[in-house]
Amino acid sequence: MDEKQLQLSGKDQWKVFKRLLTYLKPHKKVIALALFLLILTVIGDILGPFLIKVFMDDYLTPRNFPTGPIVGLALGYVFIQVGNVIVSYFQLLRFQEIALKIIQQMRIDVFSKVHKLGMRYFDKTPAGSIVSRVTNDTEAIKDMFVSVLVAFVQSGFLVIGVYIAMFIMNVKLALVTIVLLPILFFIITTYRKHSSIVYQDLRERLSQLNAKLAESLQGMTMIQAFRQEDRLQDEFNAINDKHWNAGKRNIKLDSLLLRPAIDLVYALAIIMVLSYFGIISMNNVVEVGVIYAFVTYIDRFFEPINQVMQRLSIFQQAIVAASRVFKLLDEEDLAPSQKDIANAKIEQGKIEFQNVTFSYDGKTDVLKNISFTAEPGQTVALVGHTGSGKSSIINLLMRFYEFEQGDIKIDGHSVKDFQKEEIREKVGLVLQDPFLFYGDIENNIRLHDQEMSDEEVKAAAEFVQANIFIEKLPNTYKQKVTERGSTFSSGQRQLVAFARTIATNPKILVLDEATANIDTETEVAIQSSLEKMRKGRTTIAIAHRLSTIADAELILVLHHGEIVERGTHQELLNQKGLYHKMYLLQNNVVDDIA
Amino acid sequence: MRVFLDLGWFFKERKKQYLLGIVMLMLVAFLQLIPPKIIGYVVDEISAGTLTSATLLKWLGILAVAAIGMYALRYYWRIMIFGSAIFLARQLRERLFRHFTKMAPSFYQKKRVGDLMAHATNDLSAVQQTAGAGVLTLIDSITTGGFVIAAMAITINWKLTLIALIPLPLMAILTSYYGKLLHQRFRYAQEAFSNLNDKAQESISGVKVIKTFGQEKEDTEDFVQLSQDVVDKNIRVAKVDALFDPTISLIVGICFFLSIIFGTRFILADEMSIGDLFAFTSYLGLLVWPMLAFGWLFNIVERGRASYDRIMNLLDEEIEIDDKENALEQKPEGNIQFHVDEFKFPGDERSAIHDVHFTLKRGETLGIVGKTGSGKTAILKLLMREFEGYKGQILYGEHPIDVYKKRSLREAIGYVPQDHFLFSTTVAGNIAFANAGASMEQVHEAAKLAYIHEDILQFTDGYNTVVGERGVSLSGGQKQRISIARALMMDPELLILDDSLSAVDARTEEAILEALKAKRQNETTIITSHRLSAIQHAHQIIVMSEGTIKEKGSHEQLMELKGMYFEMYQLQQLESLVEQGGEA
Repeated sequence: MDEKQLQLSGKDQWKVFKRLLTYLKPHKKVIALALFLLILTVIGDILGPFLIKVFMDDYLTPRNFPTGPIVGLALGYVFIQVGNVIVSYFQLLRFQEIALKIIQQMRIDVFSKVHKLGMRYFDKTPAGSIVSRVTNDTEAIKDMFVSVLVAFVQSGFLVIGVYIAMFIMNVKLALVTIVLLPILFFIITTYRKHSSIVYQDLRERLSQLNAKLAESLQGMTMIQAFRQEDRLQDEFNAINDKHWNAGKRNIKLDSLLLRPAIDLVYALAIIMVLSYFGIISMNNVVEVGVIYAFVTYIDRFFEPINQVMQRLSIFQQAIVAASRVFKLLDEEDLAPSQKDIANAKIEQGKIEFQNVTFSYDGKTDVLKNISFTAEPGQTVALVGHTGSGKSSIINLLMRFYEFEQGDIKIDGHSVKDFQKEEIREKVGLVLQDPFLFYGDIENNIRLHDQEMSDEEVKAAAEFVQANIFIEKLPNTYKQKVTERGSTFSSGQRQLVAFARTIATNPKILVLDEATANIDTETEVAIQSSLEKMRKGRTTIAIAHRLSTIADAELILVLHHGEIVERGTHQELLNQKGLYHKMYLLQNNVVDDIA
Repeated sequence: MRVFLDLGWFFKERKKQYLLGIVMLMLVAFLQLIPPKIIGYVVDEISAGTLTSATLLKWLGILAVAAIGMYALRYYWRIMIFGSAIFLARQLRERLFRHFTKMAPSFYQKKRVGDLMAHATNDLSAVQQTAGAGVLTLIDSITTGGFVIAAMAITINWKLTLIALIPLPLMAILTSYYGKLLHQRFRYAQEAFSNLNDKAQESISGVKVIKTFGQEKEDTEDFVQLSQDVVDKNIRVAKVDALFDPTISLIVGICFFLSIIFGTRFILADEMSIGDLFAFTSYLGLLVWPMLAFGWLFNIVERGRASYDRIMNLLDEEIEIDDKENALEQKPEGNIQFHVDEFKFPGDERSAIHDVHFTLKRGETLGIVGKTGSGKTAILKLLMREFEGYKGQILYGEHPIDVYKKRSLREAIGYVPQDHFLFSTTVAGNIAFANAGASMEQVHEAAKLAYIHEDILQFTDGYNTVVGERGVSLSGGQKQRISIARALMMDPELLILDDSLSAVDARTEEAILEALKAKRQNETTIITSHRLSAIQHAHQIIVMSEGTIKEKGSHEQLMELKGMYFEMYQLQQLESLVEQGGEA
């Protein structure tokens, strides 16, 4: 629903399909086995009617029933039937397994690709549509592998098997029935040609219909406030009618060319067989069993064709879904890469920004010529109103975004010279919105580091004083965290995020202080935890409350991407500039200005 | 099967189509009996060597006519029955939409858009299935099944029929057992899939945290595990799913086997011919579908009933705020007297506002200030009759507002909301939202008043630029100004700006306010804002705090009071100074 239907040319569809097939490669052996089983079932399908033919012609017609051969035939028939059932079960299962594994691989590919993408990609793409690529689109592809491809291969083999059998029994009649193939081919291609248009149209109308409905629901208060209910209803009805008409066209097309048409061709085939044998019978003796076999084969022959035709639309959907998935897999907006020989180590934690200029969109600079130094163990605080560039400084230091102008150095090496793991390990970032994952408190502190012991988890929690609230929880560290931690207050979430960061024992601390309404209870804990965490670590902090950074060694005041004031708290207050005014504002002291 | 009764009204409405469709279906079921019979006759004559060109032509002619007849009938019953089913979907969809347009905001607070969408899509298609495939499977499994068995028993051999059909109930039992198993396992598979979906959702929302801790690899491993779970659960489904086809072919195979063996005996006893055996086995093949259809039917009906009930529950939801009997058609005008002792939002314990009394004279401007949650918006929502159930009375002109028709009341009010919702149509379409027939000049004029004209001309297609979903391609300030233009287009008796200037800069705000003052000399305006500059010029200002009026008066009076308003004013002066980088 969220995507507009992609229009793919026939050539593009073919390309996408070929690329999908490459996913079969790793499963060559299993596929070969499944195909072998499939051939066995086809042989069984062909042999069954053949045995009955033998019975009819050799024994029933002459009314001659020697016990031995009859029992042999019966046993043979039963053996083939039962064997066929068992083999076809495993063959069906095998194909499904292959399809599921292919889709799993595809999902893993997409998911790992997502983790290789840069923040820029996440900025421009709604989360919902990325999730759709990972799960829903791959599910659509699964349907194709499971129901279309298998049916396709199956019917292909069966058609070949039936023709081989018919050729063995009667070359002339088999040659005559070959006429059926171009007729069926014609019906299938005509259907495909028209249905891809009609079906696409139907899908598009449906997504328009749903978009209109969703938008109207979201904007209902506005529609009502402006008394446009009737007009919107008319607009909705118009789309609804178009959707209905598209639905009617779809039903017409399906009725014209699907089952009823195939059944008609089936009747034609029967007429062909009967007239052939009928005419022959006027001059020669005809074996009844052969007629039986032919009629039965023709029955068998049409069943899979019907199935394939019914499923063509799934195929169409899967190709569109696959093209979206491949687009994501080919996405080039990758996370910034580190230099090849990157192996510098972070020892001291000295940070230098040297003339850094940066822009997200390549047009407007959000950081202009930023330079500052944080000596090991020092705290540098960034202040300024929204959009002044504070977060961008952190984004660059953390290597979320690539920058071109200027350089950022840690212990004298450019941040591009470290392995990513080194930065992640030694630089701890606390985000403004502390995101908690589904699981429990302990998992949220430990994250995926399985080597971290329970004691270390507890120590980290104690260090930031998160233990106080955690231990009051009914299940303490095993307390469930659901839906992004919505059951915890933002202050509690922040404390867990602190513990998570401190547990990795970083050399450098980057803090994006929370502004959200933190309850007074946790506020005190947060402030004293912050102070403890900063001790002995170089800290870059975005401060919304100026009171929390009064002891910072360096405070940078940002405005429109530039550092407009710098100094310690006292120095800046004495300057009576922007910082001073911000300070007054926060303390509700207004008399001086007014 | 109750759902067929519930849908009775619809079947009645489309009586012609359904009757025709069902008759056609039955005719098809009957005509289907012909080809096997003809095969039997021809085979008998061939084996007896008595076939002549004339008889062959006769039989094949009948076969051809029957086939063409079936083609036509199969085509038409689909049009009749499936066509009616999508007609039902269309009708219900229309009804749902109409119902949605009548529901008050409290309804939309209770329900999530996603759920409502699900009713209008998934539930609707389940009901459509019931009216289409449900009817088909019901009729077809009974008629085809009945006709075929009758043909076998009456025209061929009833004893053989009984014998051959012995295994068939087993098929029904087994497939319905598989169905139950499948249903259960399918639920687990769905759960696994939704876990995977949640995981992907969470990882993508929390991508920054994952990047921060460099846990991409570990997170992927987690995902791999969950995807393995999906595979495992689906293989369990496949294990049952793969049973269907083999079971059916096994049981049909047994039936065949029985028919051949016993058929042979009946042939030897001269109770039937070889041709009869041919026809008989063909009939057996025809019985597979009705057996399957029967199992299918229960599935469709079960889903259809649940969905139909959900849709009906939604449609039965009462319209909370409706016009009274003999409601006034006339557009309200005059003074507004607002006297509310207490009001709580539905489902909320605390009162949103209490003891709010003020009178707004026609042609005057009222400013309402206060923090978020102080009750500003509640006042407006009551005034527009989006909510009811308050203690007190709100008069517009001479009458309480609920004496007017909702339409008339809202015709008098031009509302600019806080969350500027734009529709995905052109800019011009958005501005002329309430006056679809307005001229381009009028649209331009409104845009100029809202100081958005110049911006619009900069867009790629000017006034014809399409606003993206929820107006993504526009800045907050631009969206706000388009919303203002939209309200001004109505030239309303009462204009309400609900904190609608928050995203425009100070200079634009001033210009817009000046323009409004000049244009709306004798008309009433209410402005809420937490920026005082927006309401400074108002004739009357009320300061809201914790749901009630703290201070009331003109700007000058309130400044002299040196209370809350005065303090807010001082702070905001400072704030704007900071925003401008400290240079006054």
